Amino acid sequence: MYEFFNQNQMYIVLVVTLLIWLGIVWYLIRIDKKIKKIEKRLEKDK
Amino acid sequence: MSFISSTLAVVSKDVRSELRTRYAMNALLMFVVTSVATILFALREDEVSTEVLSGMFWVVIFFTAMSGLSRIFVSEEERGTTMTLKLVASPSVVYFGKLIFNCGLTLTLSSAVTILYLVVFPTFIIKSMVVFASTVFLGSLGFAATATIIAAIIAKANTKGTLYPVLSFPILIPLLITVMKSTTRALDGEIFNEALGEFQMLTSYLMIIIVGSYLLFDYIWKE
Amino acid sequence: MSVVKYSSIAFITFAILAGIAIPMVPQPQSWLEFPIIPGLEDKARNIFFHVPMAWTSVLGFIFALFYGFRYLLTKDFDYDIKSVSSAGLGMMFCILATITGSIWAKFSWGSFWNWDPRETSIFILLLIYGAYFALRSALGSDEVRARLAAVYSIIAGMTAPYYIFITPRIVGGLHPGAKGDTTGSMPLAQLHMTLNMGFVFFIGIIGFSLFFLWLLNLRIRIAQIEYQISKNKM
Repeated sequence: MYEFFNQNQMYIVLVVTLLIWLGIVWYLIRIDKKIKKIEKRLEKDK
Repeated sequence: MSFISSTLAVVSKDVRSELRTRYAMNALLMFVVTSVATILFALREDEVSTEVLSGMFWVVIFFTAMSGLSRIFVSEEERGTTMTLKLVASPSVVYFGKLIFNCGLTLTLSSAVTILYLVVFPTFIIKSMVVFASTVFLGSLGFAATATIIAAIIAKANTKGTLYPVLSFPILIPLLITVMKSTTRALDGEIFNEALGEFQMLTSYLMIIIVGSYLLFDYIWKE
Repeated sequence: MSVVKYSSIAFITFAILAGIAIPMVPQPQSWLEFPIIPGLEDKARNIFFHVPMAWTSVLGFIFALFYGFRYLLTKDFDYDIKSVSSAGLGMMFCILATITGSIWAKFSWGSFWNWDPRETSIFILLLIYGAYFALRSALGSDEVRARLAAVYSIIAGMTAPYYIFITPRIVGGLHPGAKGDTTGSMPLAQLHMTLNMGFVFFIGIIGFSLFFLWLLNLRIRIAQIEYQISKNKM
């Protein structure tokens, strides 16, 4: 596997970028769920 | 009173209060003199290209305008006369009156700068007077139009002095770029037709700013 | 809304995969090969990310303007919340677009900043966002702030056509489509983008736009909750 990545270094960039991007997406989905919880609570309290 | 006479009444009120105190005129002229003097010290006897000269010309006008033109609305706030003005005149009358006053102020300002430049810088030779005059005329009006509407916006703000250039600059950039290019052409002696693109731009800018300001002024002026 | 969220994730992931992984060869034969653009080579991949970000910063301003306009018409404070959220998001994308553009410029054209018309226009957009927030922070009352901020965004928006369309045509520049360019004004034509590159690029633009809508939705909901809570306290 080392050989492959050393030859086509662009794929290293690809993996890194995908990891960063998917990490951000996961964080955003978490925030989205938290906001939904708070909105439901506000609706109940009304 | 008809629309025109009310507007002229606003203008004459501002002109008269201006002549009484001469506050704005003095401040602007002093600013112009000090900026030109600073540039003179920096340049000494150096020959500068026409682009640099035209750039410096408009830099002086820009900063002088930024220091002085906000007064038309800010002075109303400071003196507490805004309420009276709102009661007495309709928004469009106020807007056009202030606009005309500012146009007069800017045209006086740019004429002063032109004369000063002609006297102080030997290399500032206007080879094409028509192009130069039209550029300075349209450019000054464009400055005045933008200055008026932005002054109206910041009249109620807390940090008026620093906010005014910050808000005006992005709006003025297209005007500045075009007007500097056109002045360079005038200094280089090109004929009117070659600068036609710039004049179209300057006229359209003026129209758009004035029309937009007129439509939006109601929302600024009325509580 | 979920459609927007999940399709934006899908599209951008696709753009990242295709934009980075597809190799560049001198004579592209299949759909899975990009052409080598002289002068740019691998750096051309930036186009899949930098241009969409610049586009969403403009989109952010358009939304801020639109919501401001609705506020002026209805005086409904909710529109001011939406306007500010959009402007904040647009400013973030604008900063990123300026930085990424500057880095790309350093390696393509030699220096970090050149006052090329398109560079100048993204800079002007940055100034407009800055001025918008400076204005908002200098005004105390909520109503006055919402009103004047909306007016300023409309006035700034009116000058936009000038620096987006006209000045690049008048003053020559480095970006494709400026005066000295003979090969046409669309990036597609100038950069000799093949159809498959154009496709990935297009997906990127849509993906980033949808992503913007998702982030905007999150910001608006948070701001609305805060507003709700501060109202409940009173």
